[in-house]
This record gives sequence, structure tokens and C-alpha cells, in this order.
Amino acid sequence: MNDFLAKIAAILEVDGVRETDELKAFAQWDSLSVLSVIAMLDASYGVNLRATDFGPIKSVGDLWTVVQSRKRV
Amino acid sequence: MNFTFHRKRISGILTIVPANERSFVEEMKNYNFPESRSMKLKEVMGYDKRRLVSPGVCVSDLAVFGLQHLFDNGSLSRDEIDALLLVTQSPDHFVPPTSNIIQGRLGLKRDMLCMDINQACAGFVIGLIQACLLLEQDSIRKVVLINGDVLSRKTSPKDRNIYPLMGDAASITVLERDPVESVVHANLRMDGAQHEALIIPAGGFRLPSSPETAVLEDVGDNNFRAKDHLRMDGTAIFNFVQVEVPPLIEALLAQAGVSKESVDYFLFHQPNRFMLQKLADKMKVPYAKMPSNVVEHFGNGGGATLPLAIALNLARELETGHCQVCLAGFGGGLVWAAMLMRLGGLSFCQLIDFP
Repeated sequence: MNDFLAKIAAILEVDGVRETDELKAFAQWDSLSVLSVIAMLDASYGVNLRATDFGPIKSVGDLWTVVQSRKRV
Repeated sequence: MNFTFHRKRISGILTIVPANERSFVEEMKNYNFPESRSMKLKEVMGYDKRRLVSPGVCVSDLAVFGLQHLFDNGSLSRDEIDALLLVTQSPDHFVPPTSNIIQGRLGLKRDMLCMDINQACAGFVIGLIQACLLLEQDSIRKVVLINGDVLSRKTSPKDRNIYPLMGDAASITVLERDPVESVVHANLRMDGAQHEALIIPAGGFRLPSSPETAVLEDVGDNNFRAKDHLRMDGTAIFNFVQVEVPPLIEALLAQAGVSKESVDYFLFHQPNRFMLQKLADKMKVPYAKMPSNVVEHFGNGGGATLPLAIALNLARELETGHCQVCLAGFGGGLVWAAMLMRLGGLSFCQLIDFP
């Protein structure tokens, strides 16, 4: 989880993020960040998300929940 | 779908790019995004310089210029062309085929086959497959495959999703029979259910161009484009490539009985550096074996980017020696296609400017 938060923070170019943080509240949350997150989740967790999957994902914690539910063990 | 061809080879590659160069940094102000984010995009994607045609320049202009260059320097003669294939999504006209226009402008013989193929970024591999199929005929000894697009003319300058990566380019590839035994393996897949991921909605017969289709629309992501413009669902394309291309390559190598390590170069379509490096990571291929530097110099010109990657990086190596190469193209359709072959001993492998 800490590793996941650090990776999200790096993509958003901030010092740190919390589970409750809303993704859209970050100035850097744009199509490039979405692409970077998709690539990171694929490389680090073997999870392939589509852009449309981001519809119901509001917070950093929501994203983590989706990753956990799809993670290939 | 698998293909196997015997005794077919590429004997020469010429690529043609417009001399007119644009810079990402100079065009950043057109986009409705903070400059710091656009600079980040430049750094991640590898956007920098690209080449665009001047207004009015068509695919047949690039092709005629390139073929004339080959005729003039003795690399190819008019009469030996038995088939001329043109892969393009930006034809001069809907009617007639642009390949016939090229034939007529150059005064090529009448006893030949001209054919337009509407394919996108997988167009180089698709064209090679078609060329190899034609070479099975006794009457066809030399095929000229042209890949060319001028789709910058159908792209919105206010669409940061696609405008900064667009380039215009053409390539001419000559194929003939291999005097020695050799095998070319190819593999392709298509998924028309996802045809809207890369599309120009208007301008065809389904939705003819009109004043309404020319209106720039805010699609909700700070990008402005009209229905007349090429649009790309960038994240969907990225996802498709990362999910589908690695297994296609694995299947191709298995079909050929060739190990990944014995492939000298993975020469792929060049959408941007980011997508190619992620592919290399996923396939566990060193970056040195998978060139990704076409976009930063020329932009993404569709099917011609793969031969551009060859001419830019391997010209000397392929004129003097041979390599085992794995080619792959992927894009609009959706289509993904790969080919494994021995490439080399080229009589020409060159990149020229269209003035």
C-alpha cells in the first residue's frame, strides 16, 4: 500500500498522497497522468485498466480497491 | 492468423519526409493546457521535432518524388515494376485509386497491377503480406510497396491528444524473390468492434463533410476538434497495444521456432517513445534492440514510420550485412500484425527530404 501511494505521488509530482485524496483535486491529474497510472498498474501489479474504468474511481483509495480486486496473484 | 512465405525478400527501402519541420515547444501555446504539463508530455512521450507537408501536398506527390529519385539514380527501373501497392488512409481522391494516379504520373507500363489498401499504422506489415502473396505469381517478379499518409491535414491544431505526435511521411519498399531459400513468418489479428478508437467521423459517405462537421467542439478534456478531424482515444489505444502486442510476438516467435534472444532488432510502428519503451519493458527486450526515436525527429506518419525507423537507425548495417528482425504494426481498425524475417543486403536504404 505504501509503495502504491508513493508511485501515485510520483506520477502526480507531489510529496505524498493519502487514500482519501480525490484524484481530480490534483492539478496534474490529466490524460497524461491517467496514461502513466495505467502503465504503472500494468507493470507493477499486472492490472490492465481502461480509461472508462476510471469513471467510478474518485479517490486514491478507490483506485487501490480496484487494483486489489483485479490483481493477478 | 498465420502466414508463411518462402523465398521472398526486401531489396530496398527509401523513405521520404517533408522538409518542413515543426517544433513541439513552438506549438505548445495552441493547446489549452498549462505549459508545465505540456513540457511534461514532451519529456514522457519524446515529442520534439516533426515533419509536416505544406498545404496542398498529397500522398501521390511524396510517392512520385521518391520513385523518380530511384529511377534517376538507377536503383529501380520503370519497366520492372509488376505491381504497385499503396497503403494509405489519405488518398488524393475517393475515386480513382491513388496507385493509378501514381502509375499515370510516372508513365509506368500498363501490364501491371495497381492497388490501394486502406490500412493505418499496421500498414507496413499488411502491405508486406500482400506483396508476398502477389510474388507467388509467376508474372509478378517485383512489387513496389508504398506507405504514405498526410493525415496532419486532417488533425486539429488545438487537440493535444493527437496533434503533437502527427507527422507526414512516405516510404517505398521493393520486394522480390529471394534467390536463396528463406522463410518469412507473419501473424496478424484484427478487431473491428473497436473501430471507433481511431476514426475520422466525417468526410466519407456515412457523414459527409458540411459546415457543421467543420465546427471545433470542446469534447470535455480541454481539446478542441471537429468531426472532420482525426480523433484518437489515446488511453484505449495504449491499453490495446500493451495487452495485445506482446502475445502476438510470442505467438509469432513460437510459430517460427525462433527465440527472442536471437532476434537482432524489434522494429515496431512508432507511435511515441513512451508506448514503445513500455512494450520493451513488458516483453523484456533491451531498448537498444527496439528503436523508439522516430517520433522525436519526424512525428508519427502512420505506416511509413516502421521503414523510417529502419532507414534512420540501420541503413549502413542493412546495406552491408544482414539481421534477423521482428516487425510489428498496430493501430486503427483495430489491427495488430507482426512479421519475422531476415533483412539485409539492401541495394538502397535511405531517407530523403521532399522539398
